[in-house]
Amino acid sequence: MSAQERRPEEDGRDFADAMWSIPSYLLAGMAVYGGIGWLLDRWLDVSAFFPIGTVLGLILAGYLAYRKFSR
Amino acid sequence: MGILAEVSGNVTAIGYGLAAIGPGIGVGIIFGQGVQAIARQPEAYGLIRQNMLLGFVLTEALALIGLVAPFLFQAI
Amino acid sequence: MITLTAPAHGDEFGAPTPEELFNLAPVAGVEWFTKPVLLAVISAILVIGLTWAAFSSPKLVPRGVQNVVEYGYMFVRDQVARPFLGKDADRFMGLLVTLFFLVLVWNLLGVVPIAQFPVASHIAFPAVLAISIYVLKIYLGVKHQGAGGYFKNMMFPPGLPKPIYVLLSPIEFLSNMIIAPFTHAVRLFANMFAGHMLLAFFSMVGFHFLFVQLTPLGAPVGVVGVIMTIIFTGFEMFIQFLQAFLFAMLASMYIGGSLHAEH
Repeated sequence: MSAQERRPEEDGRDFADAMWSIPSYLLAGMAVYGGIGWLLDRWLDVSAFFPIGTVLGLILAGYLAYRKFSR
Repeated sequence: MGILAEVSGNVTAIGYGLAAIGPGIGVGIIFGQGVQAIARQPEAYGLIRQNMLLGFVLTEALALIGLVAPFLFQAI
Repeated sequence: MITLTAPAHGDEFGAPTPEELFNLAPVAGVEWFTKPVLLAVISAILVIGLTWAAFSSPKLVPRGVQNVVEYGYMFVRDQVARPFLGKDADRFMGLLVTLFFLVLVWNLLGVVPIAQFPVASHIAFPAVLAISIYVLKIYLGVKHQGAGGYFKNMMFPPGLPKPIYVLLSPIEFLSNMIIAPFTHAVRLFANMFAGHMLLAFFSMVGFHFLFVQLTPLGAPVGVVGVIMTIIFTGFEMFIQFLQAFLFAMLASMYIGGSLHAEH
């Protein structure tokens, strides 16, 4: 949001919005990158990419949620 | 006397139950202290909110790692 | 009464399984017409009748039924619609009030004697509501922001460094398009399912140790079971109200998000 005057209700709404969205962001991050890692595992016949992808997805999704909502 | 009780099913369910205790306490502490901080200093709302978000994201990530940990260990 | 008639296996205590609690026999011989379907129909009729009785001839000074339902309407308007929809709140009040009352009656049937089955503990019912909200969300988003604009606003939030969009927009897409409606339905379903299991378990404990197999050692356990049943019934009613409120609130949040572009 720009530097315009904000009412407290809007702050509260944005905060509630963020809190409800964060779990689904984290789940989606894990699903996307864990899924890519799982497919890589199947393809290359190794077992390292699934855990790496899951943790990477969590980190990326956390970064996204933090940057998107903390303004 | 024989068997008193038996547990059947997947053990990983118990694992997730245990793994959810810590993040549960953590989220409670974050929001409890965060709301208290906002009540004490409403003018620092932006800063407190930002740090609450960071803490919530990190704690929630722990809970979700607990959710997928059984699959991870199966894969390895 | 399901919880009390669940079979105890001989002399030993068996916890109720989801199979015997939720896989119910058809009511009137028709295969699809089971208890949850019957309760869903009853609660739909109940909600229609209640609002009809309240608002068919509204008085300026509300009395009786109108008073109660108007209080619910005010609650939905002030707590659910206005914080998320702003000036568009009145357009969607019909939908949100219907959702709130329907889900509330569904849930409360879980603790009403004789009925004693929360309809939402079969995932088909919350899933249908969540899917209809999801379709409405996409329709409104495409209508108000344009097809390209809606997906652009959704997948590329402003204020991030450029190269990282490649990594983050799949997460945005999956979170908004698949995970959000899924958790919308599952949150209601899982709460009702777990609550019903919990109540059934504690009432089974009370019934088994006080009526089926009364021993000096088992009687205190049975008393604890009965007390826990009473406590958890009260707790469960609170959860049922909260879940109905959250379901309507998330619906209004999704609708509000597609009416206005985010920031």
